[in-house]
Amino acid sequence: MTDKFAPKPDSSVIVQAEKVNKFFGKLHVLNNISLEVRQNEVVVILGPSGSGKSTFLRCINHLEKINSGHIYVNGHMIGYSERNGKLIEDNEANISRQRAEIGMVFQRFNLFPHLTALENIMEAPVHVRKIATAQAREDAERLLARVGLEAKRNQYPNQLSGGQQQRVAIARALAMKPTLMLFDEPTSALDPEMIGEVLDVMKELAHQMTMIVVSHEMGFAKAAADRVVFMDYGQIVEQGTPDEFFSNPKEERSRLFLSQILH
Amino acid sequence: MYHFDWALFWTYVWPVTALQNPLIRNGLLATVVVSIIAQVLGVVFGLFAALGKMSKFPGFRWLAEGYIWYFRGTPLLVQMALLFFGLGVTHIYDFPDIKFGIVTITGAIQAGTLALAINEGAYMAEIIRAGIESIDPGQMEAAKSLGMGYALAMRRIILPQAAKVIIPPLGNEFNNMMKTTSLMEIISAGELFFAFNQINARVFKPFELFIAASLYYLLLTTIWSLIQARIEAGLGERKGDTEKQGMFARLLSGTSKGGH
Ligand SMILES: Nc1ncnc2c1ncn2[C@@H]1O[C@H](COP(=O)(O)OP(=O)(O)O)[C@@H](O)[C@H]1O
Ligand SMILES: [Mg+2]
Repeated sequence: MTDKFAPKPDSSVIVQAEKVNKFFGKLHVLNNISLEVRQNEVVVILGPSGSGKSTFLRCINHLEKINSGHIYVNGHMIGYSERNGKLIEDNEANISRQRAEIGMVFQRFNLFPHLTALENIMEAPVHVRKIATAQAREDAERLLARVGLEAKRNQYPNQLSGGQQQRVAIARALAMKPTLMLFDEPTSALDPEMIGEVLDVMKELAHQMTMIVVSHEMGFAKAAADRVVFMDYGQIVEQGTPDEFFSNPKEERSRLFLSQILH
Repeated sequence: MYHFDWALFWTYVWPVTALQNPLIRNGLLATVVVSIIAQVLGVVFGLFAALGKMSKFPGFRWLAEGYIWYFRGTPLLVQMALLFFGLGVTHIYDFPDIKFGIVTITGAIQAGTLALAINEGAYMAEIIRAGIESIDPGQMEAAKSLGMGYALAMRRIILPQAAKVIIPPLGNEFNNMMKTTSLMEIISAGELFFAFNQINARVFKPFELFIAASLYYLLLTTIWSLIQARIEAGLGERKGDTEKQGMFARLLSGTSKGGH
């Protein structure tokens, strides 16, 4: 294997996970996960509840620690450096710097309730990136327009519908101009009539940036995904193009899962 | 049958006449100023203790827990005497008077304020910790995912939200604080109770004088309750809440609690 400190030679690889293992106590949540995601690729991860999808996403921006393996984002190991074959956790400043390049959208939106829609979007550019307030406001307004919510700029999260909140949350993540966006079941907390508006925003983003999306929305996967990854019991069981996977799954576990979400 | 001295009573109750007495004037001022400073310092100490208690570093946790344990587990009166007389006799710190122009802050006032603040910090620590822990952990995660460090996320995201939970009990703490300053009498700090005690030593009318003293405390806590009700109504409005505690209910609940 090549030197772990050097950036990976192939700069078009945005995420590279190598043999990632993660335990919660005795529970082996991630079992030797390896995955490579290229620039502007859209990868949809699906799998039964509890299979480790969220945990995997959270390891990619180091909201969770890993027990072994490596995760590189943009060629840099995330959360750790390696000395004499041992992983040593990075300091907070480095971890924060890396996270600033990775956008994350949560199932339950996690907007900041004490800030307006516009302030939610401006918060990190102003206080993390130290961008001038006027500039950040301009950028935030453009982003709100992009997710179709310019009229809601001064509303607080509790004055917005779930679908609107999630669109603001996407805009908030985009405001940091991330190279990678992680979506953890972005529509599963939404009323059915609001799912479409959020997926539409995500489809617009597809192929303009690298996206890893945990979602069971087959329509989105078929329309936007380059690749579908099926996880079960902390392992990647099968992956392929949406067409291959949905019409002709190879593994028994994939077939079983698909038959369950289709009914 | 006890002869109640109404003339003396009114002299010391009616502010216009009572405040002509420099003891009472300065005592009242000291009580208010000491309460405010001790409460502000108490919030600062409490914030550090709360963060210490939630720290992932065991050293900080032990330090914070030891502080809270000791200062909540021992009487404030003893802590105050220890700080003022105890430190004084060791000459570690003698609490010399500090002069700002015409204002002199006596050593006893300094020691009393500090003791009140340190003690209050131990109580505020629990209030602040409960406030922080009431915030959805998803908030910290969202902040971190945007590249915020712990300190920035605390300051910009968590504490502003926790403040809404912390402010109502903080108001009650301040109410208690104004009453608890009277303990400083033991170290002869010149606050309100000390002032009435001094006057009583001259005229020996404890019944009249201590009723008058109590009414001044009642005035302070009542004024504060009204201010507190307005602050909380404002908080509720911004949050979009409609529930508001009635002024009368606030008044009763705010002033009926005992000190620590
Ligand atoms: N913080 C945690 N502590 C202990 N167990 C956890 C924690 N987070 C998740 N788990 C467990 O890890 C497993 C995988 O969880 P998760 O990654 O959330 O699955 P998914 O997102 O695929 O539904 C589940 O069994 C879950 O209960
Ligand atoms: Mg999940």
